[in-house]
Amino acid sequence: MNSRVWRGRGAAAARAVISTGFPPLDNYLPGGGWPKGAITEILIDGYGIGELALLMPAMASLTQSAPAKAKKWIAWVSPPFVPYAPALQQHGVDTECVLMIHPAHGNKSRLWAVEQTVRSGSSAGVLAWVADADDVILRRLQLAAEDQSCWTVLFRPQSARQQRSPAALRIMLSQHAAVTRIQILKCRGGRPGIVDLERQLLAPPVRSLKARQ
Amino acid sequence: MARSLHSIELDSPATAEPPRVDAHQAPNKQRLWLAACLPNLAFEISQKPVLHTPAVVVEPQQSQLTVIAVNASAQAAGIETGSKLSTAFALAASLQAFERSLRAERASLESLAGWAQALTSLVSIESPESMLLEVSGSLRLFRSLEAIKAKLGEELTRRSFTFRLCVAPTATAALWLARAAGADVLSPHELTGRLGALPLAVTRWPQPAQELLRELGVRTVGECARLPRDGFARRIGVAYLHELDRAFGRQVEVRVGFNRPVSFRSKIELFEESTDRVIFLEAIEQMLDELSAELRMKQAQIRAFKIGFEHLHRAPTIEQFDLLEPSHDKEQLLRLIKDRLERCQLPVPAVGVRIRTGFLVPLTIQAADLFERVPVGTLTRALLERLQERFGAAAVYAVRPVAEHRPEKAWAKLNGETEAGVRSSEWLEPRDRPLWLLQRPVPLESAVARDHYRGSIELCSGPERIESGWWDEQDVARDYYTAVSSHGQKLWVFRDRRSRIWHLHGLFG
Repeated sequence: MNSRVWRGRGAAAARAVISTGFPPLDNYLPGGGWPKGAITEILIDGYGIGELALLMPAMASLTQSAPAKAKKWIAWVSPPFVPYAPALQQHGVDTECVLMIHPAHGNKSRLWAVEQTVRSGSSAGVLAWVADADDVILRRLQLAAEDQSCWTVLFRPQSARQQRSPAALRIMLSQHAAVTRIQILKCRGGRPGIVDLERQLLAPPVRSLKARQ
Repeated sequence: MARSLHSIELDSPATAEPPRVDAHQAPNKQRLWLAACLPNLAFEISQKPVLHTPAVVVEPQQSQLTVIAVNASAQAAGIETGSKLSTAFALAASLQAFERSLRAERASLESLAGWAQALTSLVSIESPESMLLEVSGSLRLFRSLEAIKAKLGEELTRRSFTFRLCVAPTATAALWLARAAGADVLSPHELTGRLGALPLAVTRWPQPAQELLRELGVRTVGECARLPRDGFARRIGVAYLHELDRAFGRQVEVRVGFNRPVSFRSKIELFEESTDRVIFLEAIEQMLDELSAELRMKQAQIRAFKIGFEHLHRAPTIEQFDLLEPSHDKEQLLRLIKDRLERCQLPVPAVGVRIRTGFLVPLTIQAADLFERVPVGTLTRALLERLQERFGAAAVYAVRPVAEHRPEKAWAKLNGETEAGVRSSEWLEPRDRPLWLLQRPVPLESAVARDHYRGSIELCSGPERIESGWWDEQDVARDYYTAVSSHGQKLWVFRDRRSRIWHLHGLFG
């Protein structure tokens, strides 16, 4: 009976998640992980506080789960530095699936590249560094991500906090002594709050080292 | 009277001519194959043979560079084909080594085959170094076999190739005889005896098969043919048995003739000078319609094309399009052109538009899966094409770890062309590495580095000494540490052991 009750259009899409790989965070997020066919916005000032390490377990599971024939990309659009392949490998990410895209300067071409990549249906995930993005383009991205079930992560400066956003999940990252603080600003189907992760947890897992050797 | 005389005259050649050997032997006319073998092709495609110092062409075989062709002075120094490059260097220190280019070899054979089509309608390229001409049909025109051989020889000499020509009733036999520098075989009767004496190496069968036969005590093609057929098929392979049969003329042989590749071109004159994109697109779409009709008819696709805008009193503006994968899809081509036109600006108005494609290549159909979803590979290609079209080929790339101690060289960009060269390393770096690497290390106190971290920093683990790379003059001597800034950023820093300057090299993102 329950299954016949209409629960709104977004319900099915919102339920598809990828485990973050960090139990405290999984427990907090609805469905137990990053929303898959949706935008996740990460607001951050400065780099080097574990912002990538936070995504690594999910990325590793996305790149490893696909059968070889249907491999999909994890695309990185205009990363601020060189994503270091040996480190990606240490985190268990299959580097064969990683695609770097450096669009011409300007937010417009970056967002165009993000949209193309999401829409193409050949990407399992997209990570993009964009400063400015208006509500309209974000809405289009959100729809495209839902359509293609593409895990879309946008890194934006903390000043974007005041802007409206259709993202399913918005989090703000900051570092406090030995913990990385994840402040959940908006969460579709959940509530705002704060999750603290020990910085140690963000180091590459030892198990993947052993498994490879 | 005159009439009957006439008829006798007409008939007489037929009756007077002695019956041909092949006339009652085979129902169809006997074929005659002329094989041209260019043993030094790898060398001669460029101007390398004119070198008077020792020179060789090498190719990687089983992860070692192996000599596959030598010039005269290298031969004089005692270098043989098949030896290792290191051995060759030991024999001649002033040796010059060139890497083999199969593509250039193929191109020169194709150009030659194009020329040879003047001699016969059936020319077939036998990779990597030979060519076959079916000449029985041309005998009448050129009057004798010798004339054909002379013409071909002349052209080959003009192109400064060393060559060996050989004629035989079957294509495989002609090829094998040419490789062994044998004499012509004109009659099928002689074939068995002459082929039988050839060494096994002329077959160019893979090493394991030849090795196995050698162990059985088989040295020549003839001995090979005397082995029991079923055992030969089982132990060596049925494909080789068939090749033997074809060589001895016991099985019909089919060779695919060489066809000079064709391209497509079309042109539309505009009514007046224009810079209007809409008008251009209309014209281009019209030409693409022609093109796709042509492609459909020929079951072909294209890999590259050019669009030219013609101006008055000025050289045309040319836009070059290279596709990642051959395509015959009009919509896809049109989309690429639209993207390009949106960004390019014509210097002056154009009076005409023309399109010219690269060579047409045969169509290959990629099957969709059972549920008619488009395969991921196709989607990926379409995406890469669009991105590269807009941002340039260098802006889109994949990354691979490389087994190397110097951090900046421990990864590589893969960008389409370079893909084959770099192999992903299975080796996993045991030490902690940052997820972000700076494009190049910057001094820790510089303004650039200051942009990336805030507050003071404190070392928390290390040092890890990396000292490597003396062989390519980009050697490093560094002590790496992990550091934490007072704002909680984790950094990867090092002190150069020579200059004693601290550098920032990465961030633990």
